Amino acid sequence: MQITVKYVAALRDRMGRPGETLDLPEGAADSEAVIARLRETDTAAEALAHPSVRLILNDTIVPRPAVLADGDVLAFCPPFTGG
Amino acid sequence: MACIDTGIIDTGILDTALDPAAALARLAGADLSAGGVASFLGQVRQEDGLTALELEHYPGVTEQALARIAQTAAQRWQLDRAVIHHRVGRMIPGEPIVFVAAAAPHRRAALDAVGYMIDLLKTEAPFWKRVHTDSGSHWVDAADTDRRAADFWLDQMASEDA
Repeated sequence: MQITVKYVAALRDRMGRPGETLDLPEGAADSEAVIARLRETDTAAEALAHPSVRLILNDTIVPRPAVLADGDVLAFCPPFTGG
Repeated sequence: MACIDTGIIDTGILDTALDPAAALARLAGADLSAGGVASFLGQVRQEDGLTALELEHYPGVTEQALARIAQTAAQRWQLDRAVIHHRVGRMIPGEPIVFVAAAAPHRRAALDAVGYMIDLLKTEAPFWKRVHTDSGSHWVDAADTDRRAADFWLDQMASEDA
Protein backbone atom coordinates (compact mmCIF):
# COMPACT_ATOMS: atom_id res chain seq x y z
CA MET A 1 0.00 0.00 0.00
CA GLN A 2 1.02 3.57 -0.58
CA ILE A 3 1.34 6.27 2.09
CA THR A 4 2.20 9.93 1.69
CA VAL A 5 4.30 11.31 4.53
CA LYS A 6 4.86 14.99 5.27
CA TYR A 7 7.50 16.58 7.48
CA VAL A 8 6.46 19.84 9.10
CA ALA A 9 8.41 22.88 10.35
CA ALA A 10 11.65 21.88 12.16
CA LEU A 11 11.20 18.24 11.06
CA ARG A 12 11.06 19.37 7.41
CA ASP A 13 14.41 21.09 7.91
CA ARG A 14 15.82 18.05 9.72
CA MET A 15 14.71 15.64 6.99
CA GLY A 16 15.79 18.04 4.24
CA ARG A 17 12.55 17.57 2.29
CA PRO A 18 8.84 18.33 2.75
CA GLY A 19 7.75 14.71 2.41
CA GLU A 20 7.61 11.67 0.17
CA THR A 21 5.56 8.70 -0.94
CA LEU A 22 6.27 5.32 0.62
CA ASP A 23 5.30 1.82 -0.46
CA LEU A 24 4.61 -0.30 2.59
CA PRO A 25 3.71 -3.97 2.91
CA GLU A 26 0.00 -4.60 3.47
CA GLY A 27 -1.00 -5.33 7.04
CA ALA A 28 1.45 -4.30 9.72
CA ALA A 29 1.48 -0.63 8.85
CA ASP A 30 1.34 2.03 11.50
CA SER A 31 3.19 5.27 12.16
CA GLU A 32 5.95 3.48 14.08
CA ALA A 33 6.52 1.09 11.15
CA VAL A 34 6.89 4.10 8.88
CA ILE A 35 9.50 5.59 11.22
CA ALA A 36 11.38 2.27 11.37
CA ARG A 37 11.32 2.02 7.60
CA LEU A 38 12.67 5.55 7.15
CA ARG A 39 15.41 5.00 9.74
CA GLU A 40 16.79 2.11 7.66
CA THR A 41 18.02 4.54 5.04
CA ASP A 42 18.07 7.95 6.70
CA THR A 43 19.70 8.69 10.06
CA ALA A 44 17.79 12.01 10.23
CA ALA A 45 14.57 9.99 10.65
CA GLU A 46 15.65 9.29 14.23
CA ALA A 47 14.07 12.69 15.03
CA LEU A 48 10.64 11.34 14.03
CA ALA A 49 10.82 8.72 16.77
CA HIS A 50 11.04 11.28 19.58
CA PRO A 51 8.02 10.96 21.92
CA SER A 52 7.25 14.68 21.58
CA VAL A 53 6.50 14.32 17.85
CA ARG A 54 2.78 14.80 17.05
CA LEU A 55 0.89 13.14 14.19
CA ILE A 56 -1.71 14.52 11.81
CA LEU A 57 -3.43 11.78 9.84
CA ASN A 58 -5.60 12.95 6.94
CA ASP A 59 -6.23 16.34 8.55
CA THR A 60 -6.93 15.04 12.07
CA ILE A 61 -4.57 15.21 15.04
CA VAL A 62 -4.19 11.62 16.26
CA PRO A 63 -2.29 9.87 19.06
CA ARG A 64 0.65 7.55 18.40
CA PRO A 65 0.80 4.95 17.13
CA ALA A 66 -1.56 5.68 14.23
CA VAL A 67 -2.87 2.75 12.17
CA LEU A 68 -2.54 3.43 8.44
CA ALA A 69 -4.50 2.51 5.34
CA ASP A 70 -3.72 2.76 1.64
CA GLY A 71 -3.78 6.36 0.44
CA ASP A 72 -3.36 7.92 3.89
CA VAL A 73 -1.48 11.18 4.36
CA LEU A 74 0.59 11.16 7.56
CA ALA A 75 2.27 14.34 8.80
CA PHE A 76 5.04 14.31 11.41
CA CYS A 77 4.93 17.51 13.47
CA PRO A 78 7.20 18.96 16.14
CA PRO A 79 5.46 20.06 19.38
CA PHE A 80 3.18 23.01 18.72
CA THR A 81 4.50 26.47 19.61
CA GLY A 82 1.73 28.92 18.74
CA GLY A 83 0.15 31.62 20.84
CA MET B 1 -8.84 35.08 6.79
CA ALA B 2 -10.06 31.54 7.43
CA CYS B 3 -12.97 32.09 9.82
CA ILE B 4 -15.48 30.03 11.71
CA ASP B 5 -18.29 32.14 13.21
CA THR B 6 -21.29 30.40 14.73
CA GLY B 7 -22.63 33.36 16.66
CA ILE B 8 -21.14 32.04 19.90
CA ILE B 9 -17.65 31.21 18.72
CA ASP B 10 -15.56 33.37 16.41
CA THR B 11 -12.22 31.86 15.40
CA GLY B 12 -9.91 32.76 12.59
CA ILE B 13 -6.42 32.57 11.15
CA LEU B 14 -5.11 35.71 9.49
CA ASP B 15 -2.13 36.33 7.25
CA THR B 16 -2.55 40.10 7.62
CA ALA B 17 -2.37 42.31 10.71
CA LEU B 18 -4.68 41.51 13.63
CA ASP B 19 -6.90 44.34 14.88
CA PRO B 20 -7.46 43.55 18.58
CA ALA B 21 -9.11 46.93 19.30
CA ALA B 22 -11.76 46.31 16.65
CA ALA B 23 -12.29 42.73 17.84
CA LEU B 24 -12.74 43.92 21.43
CA ALA B 25 -15.04 46.74 20.35
CA ARG B 26 -17.29 44.20 18.62
CA LEU B 27 -17.66 42.36 21.94
CA ALA B 28 -18.38 45.38 24.11
CA GLY B 29 -22.11 45.80 24.45
CA ALA B 30 -22.90 43.12 21.85
CA ASP B 31 -24.44 40.68 24.33
CA LEU B 32 -26.74 42.21 26.92
CA SER B 33 -26.46 39.09 29.10
CA ALA B 34 -22.68 39.48 29.29
CA GLY B 35 -21.59 41.21 32.49
CA GLY B 36 -17.92 40.76 31.73
CA VAL B 37 -15.57 40.69 28.77
CA ALA B 38 -12.01 39.43 29.28
CA SER B 39 -9.24 39.31 26.70
CA PHE B 40 -5.62 38.34 26.12
CA LEU B 41 -3.34 39.83 23.49
CA GLY B 42 -0.09 38.05 22.64
CA GLN B 43 2.48 40.07 20.74
CA VAL B 44 5.96 39.61 19.31
CA ARG B 45 8.51 40.21 22.06
CA GLN B 46 11.65 42.23 21.32
CA GLU B 47 14.54 39.91 22.18
CA ASP B 48 18.25 40.01 21.47
CA GLY B 49 18.78 40.19 17.75
CA LEU B 50 15.19 39.28 16.80
CA THR B 51 14.22 40.94 13.55
CA ALA B 52 11.06 38.97 12.78
CA LEU B 53 8.89 36.12 14.00
CA GLU B 54 7.36 33.73 11.48
CA LEU B 55 4.31 31.60 12.25
CA GLU B 56 3.63 28.46 10.23
CA HIS B 57 0.48 26.39 10.64
CA TYR B 58 -1.22 23.31 9.24
CA PRO B 59 -4.11 24.56 7.08
CA GLY B 60 -7.33 22.64 7.52
CA VAL B 61 -6.35 21.30 10.93
CA THR B 62 -5.56 24.55 12.74
CA GLU B 63 -9.01 25.97 11.97
CA GLN B 64 -10.66 22.88 13.47
CA ALA B 65 -8.42 23.01 16.54
CA LEU B 66 -9.22 26.67 17.29
CA ALA B 67 -12.95 26.07 16.82
CA ARG B 68 -12.83 23.04 19.13
CA ILE B 69 -11.00 24.98 21.87
CA ALA B 70 -13.44 27.93 21.64
CA GLN B 71 -16.45 25.58 21.58
CA THR B 72 -15.24 23.71 24.66
CA ALA B 73 -14.70 27.00 26.51
CA ALA B 74 -18.12 28.31 25.45
CA GLN B 75 -19.82 25.21 26.84
CA ARG B 76 -17.73 24.89 29.99
CA TRP B 77 -18.12 28.54 31.08
CA GLN B 78 -21.53 29.24 29.48
CA LEU B 79 -20.05 32.04 27.37
CA ASP B 80 -22.01 34.51 25.28
CA ARG B 81 -19.04 34.79 22.96
CA ALA B 82 -15.64 33.08 22.56
CA VAL B 83 -13.07 34.65 20.24
CA ILE B 84 -9.70 33.35 19.02
CA HIS B 85 -7.89 35.20 16.23
CA HIS B 86 -4.36 34.01 15.39
CA ARG B 87 -1.78 35.40 12.99
CA VAL B 88 0.35 33.39 10.60
CA GLY B 89 3.21 34.60 8.40
CA ARG B 90 5.92 37.08 9.24
CA MET B 91 5.65 39.63 12.07
CA ILE B 92 7.94 42.25 13.59
CA PRO B 93 8.42 43.04 17.32
CA GLY B 94 5.34 44.64 18.83
CA GLU B 95 2.91 43.13 16.32
CA PRO B 96 -0.04 41.14 17.68
CA ILE B 97 0.22 37.34 17.30
CA VAL B 98 -2.97 36.18 18.97
CA PHE B 99 -6.14 37.72 20.40
CA VAL B 100 -8.36 35.68 22.71
CA ALA B 101 -11.53 37.02 24.34
CA ALA B 102 -14.59 35.80 26.17
CA ALA B 103 -17.90 37.45 27.04
CA ALA B 104 -19.76 35.87 29.96
CA PRO B 105 -22.42 36.75 32.53
CA HIS B 106 -19.76 37.10 35.26
CA ARG B 107 -16.06 38.01 35.41
CA ARG B 108 -14.70 34.72 36.75
CA ALA B 109 -16.12 32.77 33.81
CA ALA B 110 -14.75 35.26 31.30
CA LEU B 111 -11.30 35.35 32.90
CA ASP B 112 -11.03 31.56 33.29
CA ALA B 113 -12.26 30.95 29.75
CA VAL B 114 -9.58 33.22 28.33
CA GLY B 115 -6.91 31.43 30.39
CA TYR B 116 -8.16 28.08 29.18
CA MET B 117 -8.26 29.10 25.51
CA ILE B 118 -4.76 30.61 25.38
CA ASP B 119 -3.23 27.75 27.37
CA LEU B 120 -4.89 25.04 25.26
CA LEU B 121 -4.10 26.84 22.03
CA LYS B 122 -0.38 26.68 22.79
CA THR B 123 -0.31 22.88 23.01
CA GLU B 124 -3.28 21.75 20.88
CA ALA B 125 -3.29 23.95 17.77
CA PRO B 126 -0.70 23.18 15.08
CA PHE B 127 1.31 26.40 14.90
CA TRP B 128 5.10 26.64 14.81
CA LYS B 129 7.21 29.73 15.52
CA ARG B 130 10.45 30.52 13.73
CA VAL B 131 12.70 33.32 14.98
CA HIS B 132 14.66 35.39 12.50
CA THR B 133 17.72 37.28 13.73
CA ASP B 134 20.54 39.22 12.15
CA SER B 135 22.62 36.04 12.13
CA GLY B 136 20.10 33.50 10.85
CA SER B 137 16.92 31.77 11.95
CA HIS B 138 15.78 28.93 14.19
CA TRP B 139 12.60 27.16 15.21
CA VAL B 140 11.27 27.86 18.71
CA ASP B 141 11.27 24.89 21.10
CA ALA B 142 8.10 24.00 22.98
CA ALA B 143 8.15 25.07 26.65
CA ASP B 144 7.41 22.61 29.47
CA THR B 145 5.57 25.44 31.23
CA ASP B 146 3.07 25.58 28.34
CA ARG B 147 2.38 21.84 28.68
CA ARG B 148 1.83 22.23 32.43
CA ALA B 149 -0.48 25.22 31.90
CA ALA B 150 -2.69 23.18 29.54
CA ASP B 151 -2.62 20.19 31.90
CA PHE B 152 -3.87 22.43 34.74
CA TRP B 153 -7.15 23.06 32.87
CA LEU B 154 -7.48 19.50 31.56
CA ASP B 155 -6.96 18.06 35.05
CA GLN B 156 -9.46 20.49 36.50
CA MET B 157 -12.10 19.63 33.88
CA ALA B 158 -11.45 15.90 34.29
CA SER B 159 -11.96 16.13 38.07
CA GLU B 160 -15.18 18.10 37.58
CA ASP B 161 -16.48 15.48 35.15
CA ALA B 162 -15.56 12.62 37.51
